[in-house]
This record gives sequence, structure tokens and C-alpha cells, in this order.
Amino acid sequence: MTFKKTLIMLGVAGAMALPTLAFSQELRIGFSADALVLDPANHRNRATETIIRNMYDGLVTRDSGMTVLPELAESWTQIDATTYEFKLRAGVTFHDGSPLTSEDIKFTFDRLTKENAMGGQTSPRQSLLGPLKEVQIVDDLTVRLILETPWPILPAMLPFQEVVSKSFVESVGTDGMTDQVNGTGPFKLVEWRKGDSVIMERYDGYYGGAAGIEPVGNACVQRVIFKVIPENASRVAALLAGDVHIIDNLPPHMVKQVEANPDTRVMAVNGTRSTYVALNNQSGPFADIRVRQAFAHALDRQLIVDKILGGNATLINGILSPDAFGKNQNLPVLEFDLDKAKALLAEAGYPDGISVTLDVTGSDKETGEAIAAVLSKAGIQVSVVVGESSMLSTRFRTKGEPIDGEMYLTSWGNGSMDPVGIFEPTHRTADRGNSSGYANAAVDALLDAAGVETDRAKRAALYSEAEALAAADTPFLYLWVAQDLYGVSNRLSGWSPIPDSRINLHDACLN
Amino acid sequence: MNLGKFVERLLQLIPVLFGVSTIVFVMMLFTPGDPVDIMLGDQHVTEQMERALRHDMGLDLPPVERFFKFLGNAAKGDFGLSYYHRAPVAEVIASRLPATIELSLVALIIGLTISIPLGVLAAVKKNSMFDRIATVTSLFGISMPGFWFGILLLILFAVNLHWLPVAGRSGFSFEVEPITHLLLVDSLLRGRPDAFWDALKHITLPAITLGLPLASILMRVTRASMLDVLDRDYITFAEAKGLSRMKVIGKHALKNALIPTVTVAALQAGSLLGGSMVVETVFGWPGLGRLVVESIFVRNYPLIQAAVLFYAFTYVMLNFVADILYTVLNPRVKL
Amino acid sequence: MTDIGSTPDMNKLNTVAGETLFKRNMKLFASSKLSLFFSAMAIGFILMALGAPLFAPHDPNEADLFLRLLPPAWMEGGDWSYVLGTDALGRDVLSRIIYGSRGSIFIGACVILVATTVGVLAGLAAGYLGGWVDVVISRLVDILLGFPYLIFAIALIAMSGPGLQNIIFALAYKEWVIPCRVVRGETLATRDVEYVEAARAMGASKRYIMLKEILPNILSPVMVVSTVRMAHVIILEASLSFLGLGVQPPTASWGSMVADGRSYMLDEWWLSTFPGLAILLLVLSINVVSQGLRDAFDPKFHD
Repeated sequence: MTFKKTLIMLGVAGAMALPTLAFSQELRIGFSADALVLDPANHRNRATETIIRNMYDGLVTRDSGMTVLPELAESWTQIDATTYEFKLRAGVTFHDGSPLTSEDIKFTFDRLTKENAMGGQTSPRQSLLGPLKEVQIVDDLTVRLILETPWPILPAMLPFQEVVSKSFVESVGTDGMTDQVNGTGPFKLVEWRKGDSVIMERYDGYYGGAAGIEPVGNACVQRVIFKVIPENASRVAALLAGDVHIIDNLPPHMVKQVEANPDTRVMAVNGTRSTYVALNNQSGPFADIRVRQAFAHALDRQLIVDKILGGNATLINGILSPDAFGKNQNLPVLEFDLDKAKALLAEAGYPDGISVTLDVTGSDKETGEAIAAVLSKAGIQVSVVVGESSMLSTRFRTKGEPIDGEMYLTSWGNGSMDPVGIFEPTHRTADRGNSSGYANAAVDALLDAAGVETDRAKRAALYSEAEALAAADTPFLYLWVAQDLYGVSNRLSGWSPIPDSRINLHDACLN
Repeated sequence: MNLGKFVERLLQLIPVLFGVSTIVFVMMLFTPGDPVDIMLGDQHVTEQMERALRHDMGLDLPPVERFFKFLGNAAKGDFGLSYYHRAPVAEVIASRLPATIELSLVALIIGLTISIPLGVLAAVKKNSMFDRIATVTSLFGISMPGFWFGILLLILFAVNLHWLPVAGRSGFSFEVEPITHLLLVDSLLRGRPDAFWDALKHITLPAITLGLPLASILMRVTRASMLDVLDRDYITFAEAKGLSRMKVIGKHALKNALIPTVTVAALQAGSLLGGSMVVETVFGWPGLGRLVVESIFVRNYPLIQAAVLFYAFTYVMLNFVADILYTVLNPRVKL
Repeated sequence: MTDIGSTPDMNKLNTVAGETLFKRNMKLFASSKLSLFFSAMAIGFILMALGAPLFAPHDPNEADLFLRLLPPAWMEGGDWSYVLGTDALGRDVLSRIIYGSRGSIFIGACVILVATTVGVLAGLAAGYLGGWVDVVISRLVDILLGFPYLIFAIALIAMSGPGLQNIIFALAYKEWVIPCRVVRGETLATRDVEYVEAARAMGASKRYIMLKEILPNILSPVMVVSTVRMAHVIILEASLSFLGLGVQPPTASWGSMVADGRSYMLDEWWLSTFPGLAILLLVLSINVVSQGLRDAFDPKFHD
């Protein structure tokens, strides 16, 4: 073909391609991060899990109400305090056609829990399975999970794990598992363009999915694409333009735009992340409980929620989110009261106000500055210092060592909605997430007891009591649980967001 | 050209690479922030798990030992495992490199195609209105902060006018088997004009953001050197012989005038690779620059070290290329 | 005789007997209207930075959550007491831009000052003393040049924490190699010139020769390079702030203002546009001035 002809052909093709060629049944998600790996056992990253979860199913899963439902398992029973028996479904196949058997379950969990079982490395998800000791194969479709010690939250923690194919892993190795996929999920991998997008298409041999999540059957759409768009404005722009149909991490100030656009709307769900300001209880001005309470009274949290978060958050007065298991619904509220705040400060020895430093990470800068602005009305001078999260963690989460700092605006996620994942790390003496140096032996004792208590009602009571005790000490300025905001196209149906921030597209349809 | 000189240049690489690795290693050593902590984030974890992870990442060895282990492995081409991607660092970098290279190449092409004709014309029509406008425009070009310019282009062309895509490198319906890993080239080689247009649309805005400041610099260099050449005796001599102006410029002046342009372009190419970080962030371009910035924030040491070595290597090589070009284009200068 | 942009006719310019080269070239510089205009703009920015409290209509850090995201005054919903609108926390954009000039100019000037001083001394030493001094300094220059500046700056700031001093050092660490290279080249070229030979013959010490004979004569290229680099450094600082590593809140910095505003670009475009424009104008004026200086001091332009 002559050069000229090629040019003309290019021009014509270009003109034709202008309305973007797209599969009409192609669901696109504007996602704020890329997957790190595609191996379900080899990461500790929520974004990665969200993407993987569409290609790999687990023994159990969660529905939008955070109830644990059987998925690959048909049912399970607890045989005794340390043994759980799972009956698998028959007829489940992996993407390559091979059948799912209990061999694969045992292999999956051994790979997750045994030292060096993952190609010479230990799985970073090992700790999510607590005291899981071994998996016994009873027959082709029955397994038993044996625990070292009683662990009442095992069912709540199982949804975090996905099942892999023993033969596949053995043939491609852990290296191959990084970017090759052979799962039991509703979609199979087409291509992973690293840093750019993950492209999946419907697996027509899908067993149908969890019985408790309607509709059961093959996925509704033909293709699913997770498009990586880290810039907030770009992601929202892509939604508004119709380039993508779902976006995550919708910034609160863009809610009105997405609502105003005739083709899009906002979907919100109560998040699982508790946001708070950790106060240095060990030394400095906040060692005095009056100062801590004064700050609580001086902070108009509702104003910040209204103005900065667009109203999309629920205030909390203890560490647990309102929907969490064991939440104490009757915690005392330290109301916004400037006079009380000033009086308490005066009593503590600061009649003319006080100067403190608030450390924040870059992404929380705006909230930190808003807090400073609000506190200034009570004569409190707050200087906001932005640091890297790694550095701030080192300074505040000291596991009992002296803390270098005064206030730290941070948050802690709780994907399982069980207090173990949030209460213990943040409030237990010298625990790894305790950024305030809070140390209360009574609270520790309650947490320890609740950790092994098998009776649900008793467990809930223990956590409620612990929360009340902690709240009375005001070790933190408990702020809020923000809603997770998603922007969706009006063409989308059959999907709603879940508090654990997964985006499961099995039943999502595009009209 | 001398083989000896070539070898000498290569040898010069070694102390530079060593120096760069040492500096980066020491910096990482003294930078607070524990990679294990960062990676685990809020997750519930026991002491034992943490220790296992630390051991897997090789962080339980004393620093000096770590450094020499790194050097030894690096010499063999093994740069360790990336903490986050759980894959060999070399692989991770290699997977993101083509995107940055492609972006830099297109930016370079844009830079050269704009700057050379404009620079030459500005010099030929010195002090005319054209020259003044060109000079002022080039001054604007180098004064524009790249991140701001990129955002403006994004809002105007991608968001408001919706002529171009908002982020990323490629649309989805296209699967092009890689040959060179450069999408634009591969899509043509595989006879997929639709994929070519798609890739072109995606690369346009980021490449312009990187390429226009480059074009401004090169235009000024071209203009200055063209002026210089036009002034020379042999040009006046050629004109005296009766040759037309155009011929004089085309045959004699241009080749010599372009020498500084080309050498500066080669040098700037190195900074393009490095400076693409901000542009890649704004446009969601899946390249090396964005990867490196992310890695710094999560203390992904192996990747940072390897990336820095790569940049240093590239810079020295580009300097070398610039020198070679200089000798080739200007036979009077010996290497 | 002289009009906008055209080079002046050397023969017609009066040279008073004894007038130094420097003075004559400065007169040349001042004869271009473009250079004068932008010099005035640059000076304007400096004055704005120095006199910020006088010029700014509001306290740049005064946040009022009830007045957030007001558009510029000429748009619907705008308010003339907040001419360029307000940001996400209700702070006046114009005041923040005025105060923001302090950070940019101060950091730019300090970095250049430090870098030039170190660079000149190192370059002189390398060029004149030669030997192992030259080898060590040149190797160091090569190594530092091979570093992408951003990684260096980020790591340095991460190491020493954010703050004005640390940003200046983070930027100066790599910046000194540029004047160093220029000075080294010039020193090598002027080492064996007659007046230096003469000084040597008279028994002058090495230090004397370096500082008193060579230095004054290589100042012009250094000055030109410094002004060019200052523009570059201001953009570097803005880029660092853009990535979140620059000046700390609540201090306004143009780069971080652009960064903070980018989430809001869809609707509230003024948050990123105006600070970016400020960077552009400041850097442009510096570049025009340095261009003018270069033209004035370059003998080739005098024919």
C-alpha cells in the first residue's frame, strides 16, 4: 500500500473511531488505585482485594448488609469450639474448566497459613486467619477447619480469603500467580495493563454465586474493566462524561455535581473507617483529662461534617462505628460547648488559651485545617503540620514507647465490622495501632475476655462496657465514621455499595 | 571514532553508579518510616507475623550487609523483590518503563518538530514581528509550571470539550500483541489503525504538556545557534558567490546550526524521563515516574534503589550519546 | 535610535572613558523596553512579597467555613471583598496569593544564593587548583547530575522533615552543580590569561588569584545563569509543594494552592488557576530579565 493510501486509511479509520468503540455490555469502573498483584494470598491491600474478588470466589462472602453467607461452601456447621465443618457445592469449576474439590480448599488455606508455603515466602494474609491450625479433608466436598484456640470471629474473617486452584498454582508457581488468574469467580481475566487497567470478561461456566445474593447465575455484563484513575477530578470527569459507570472515592464536594448531572447519581454506604484525633495521653498538655475534654467540647464536629464532608458522615462518641457488633448505643456525648471548653482549660491551667500541634497526612490536610479553624474560636491555637504517613506512624504508633507529638488526625478501618479489628489495636495498652499511649488495664481485661468469648450476647456486652470505660477517659477526640461515596451511571442497576468497600459486579447490569 | 574512548566512557559509569547507589541507600537508611508498618497499615497482626514479614523483606539484616547484598545482586541483575508488588523489581520496572519511554519519545518529537522550523525562521527573520512573537511564546513555554499547564489542558480538552480522554494510556477494546511495547508503533505494525488512534488520543495531552516546554528551550537554542551560524564567514562567502538565500540556509547553515539543538535535546531527554513524574500523576499515565513517586511514599526500597540506578545509567548514556552526535555532526571536533 | 527589542548600535552609544564593561552592558539592558517592563513586574512581585500585610485585603489564614468556595467577584455569587474568590476553607484567594509570593521568592532567592556561593567556590577550586580537587569535585558533580531531582528532594525532606530550611537545602543540594560547572569552565579558560600570569609572576597566592583576579571576570555568566536558574528553582519548589512536600500549612504556597485546588477543578476552577498564573508571571518576568541580561552581556549581539 502506498504511503498516501495508508494515510487516507488512517484518516478514515480515525474518523470512524471517534465515537469510542466499546462493547455495549462493557461495565467500566473508574477506580482510584491499581491492583498490586492478582494473587489472592500475596497482598494486604483493599483495592487489590476489590479487584481480585470479581475473579476469585471465597468459601463464604458478605452481602450488602454485611451478613456472612456461604459462597463456594454450601453450608457450614461448628462442631466444637475449635472445629468448623464446611460442605462444598458440587459442580463448581475454575476458569480453566477443572472442578473445585476439597483439595483446593486445603491447598488454599495451607498456602495462606503455613510458613514459607507461598513459593518460599509466608503469605502476608496469614494473620487474618488467626489461630487456624490445619485443614482436614473429610471427603471430596467436605473440609474441616481446625483452630488452635477458640476464635469466635472465624466466620467473620473468612470472607477475606479467596480460593485458588491447587493444580494451577503448582503449574505456574507463585511468580505466575502475580499476573495470571484461574479462579471460580463470575469473571475471568482478559488482560492486566499494569498501572492502567484490569480487563475481565464473563465466565460462562460460573456456578451461579452465593444463594443468598439474588440473582443467581452468570454475570449480567459481558466485560468488566477496572480503569485506574487516581486523580479525583479526572475520575469524576470520566463518570460525568459517561466514560465509566461507577467511581469509588467520590470526594464529598463533588456530590452535588454528580447529583445534578442527569445521567449520574450518588450512592452512599456507611463506611467502616472510624476517624479520630489521637491525643498524647502520656505526656504534654493532653496527659490531663480536663484538657482532653476541653478540646472535645471546643470542637464543633457537626459543622465540619456539614461543611467539609457535605453531611456524609455520622458522628461517633466511641471507637466503634454505629453498625458494628458490640456497639454501645448509649455513650455520653461531649457536646459542643465553647464556654465549658474554656472553663475546663482554665481549670487545667490554661486560662488564656493553649497552643498545640496537629499532625496530619497530606490527604487529611483539609480536615485538619478545618479542625484548627474551628478550635481557634475557643482560644486554641493549632498549627497543622503535614507529614508522611510512614513517618507519623513511627512517631505515634510506638507500642508503648514514648510518643513524639501531641495530636494526630488519623483513622482506622474495620473491614470485618468486628471490634477485634479496631478496638484492640487502637485502645489496648501498647498495641500496634495505639497512637495515644492510652493504657487502661480494665479495658485491656475486657478486650481480652471478649476475644475468646463464644457467647455472642456476652461478647457484645463486654465490648459495650469496654467502649463506655474508654469513652469516659476521652483518650481520643472521636470524630466520625464517613460514608463511602460512589458515583454511578443511571444506566447501572443491580449493584449497591457495601461497607467493606468491595465492588462485586456479578449482578450489576448496564441498561 | 575511538573504541578506547567508548570504553573509557563506560568505565566512568562505574563510579557514578556506585556513588548514586550509596547515596540513595544512605538516604533511605536515615529516612524514618518503616516499610513493614506501612505495608501492614491497619491490619490486625501479631508480633510473629510482623517478624516473618520483616525477614521476608530482608529487613532484619544490618544495613551494611544489606547494602553489599544489594550491590552484589545488582551486579548480577537481580534487584530484589518489590515489597508491594511481590515480584522482582526488574520486572515491575520493566513493565512500567515502555509507557514512560513512549511518552518521552513523543514529547521529544513534538519538541523537535515545533522548535526547529520555528527557531530557524525566527533567526532568519531576526527582529521581525514573527521573531518577537516566537521569542515571547518560548519564554512563556519555559515559564509555565508543568503541573498547572497539564491540569489546564486536562480541564479544557478532556473535561469541557471532551475531545480527548481523561486518563490512562489506552482504551479497552483493543488488544495489540506487543512487539516493541510502544503502543503507537505496535498498533501500526499489527495493522490496527483503530488502536493507533486510540493510543494517539491518550498520549496527546501528556505529551504536549511535556513537549511544549522542551520545544521552547530547543527553539531558543536553535535560534541562537542559527544566528551564530548565519553570521559566519563561509555563509557570507556563499552568498557572495551568488547562491540563493534559501539554498545557503538549507545546505550550509542548517546542518551546523542544528548541532547544539540536537545535543541539548539529548541532554534534555534525560530530564524528560525524570520530569515525567508530575505529568504522569496528573494524567494517570502508567509510567515509571508515577511508580517511583508512589514507591518513595511507601518506602519500597528495592524499587527506589533500582529506579535511581536506572535513571543515573540513562543520564550518563544520554550524555554520551550527545557527545557522539556532536562529533558525528561536526567532524571538526574530536571526541 | 533604540526601539523595542532591536539591538542598539554600539558605535552610537557613548562610552565614557573609564566606564567598566559591566556598567555599559547594564545600560544596554535598560534600553530594551521589554526588559524594563518585566523588570518592573519582577520588582513588583518582590514588593508584594515584602509588603504583603499592606496589600492583602484579608488574613490569608483566616478560615470561615460559612464562606467556602465563593467564586471570583465578577461571577455570580461572588463578593467584591473576596476579589478572586475563596478556597475550600473560606480563605481569601487573593490574600493567599499575595502572601504566597513570600514563600516562592524567598525560597528561590535563598536556594540560588546558597547554590551559587557553594558552586562558585567549588568551581573555582576545581578549575584553578586542578589535580585531585578537580577529580573529586567533578565526580561529585557527575553523580549528583545523574540523580532525578525529585527523588532527591523527596527523600531529603522525608529525612529531615518539612520546613523552610529543609526545603532550601533539599533544592540547593543539587542546584550548586550548575554554577559550579559554569565557573569551572570559565576558570579553566581564564587560568592562563595574561593578567593572571602577571599576578602569578608577582608571587600572588593561589587564593588571591582565584578570588581577586579570576572571579570578577567570570561574574557575568554566573549572574546570567543564576537568574535563569532562579526561575527554574521557583518552579521546582512549586512542584514539591504540589506533591505535598513544600511549605507547611497554613502558610500559603502557590504550588500547594494549585495542588489543593485540583480536586475542585471541575466547578471551582479559580482555586488552581490563579496561583498557577502567579507562578507563570513571576517566572516569566525573571526569564525575560535574564534573557535581557544575556543579550546585553553577550558581545555577539553588539555588532
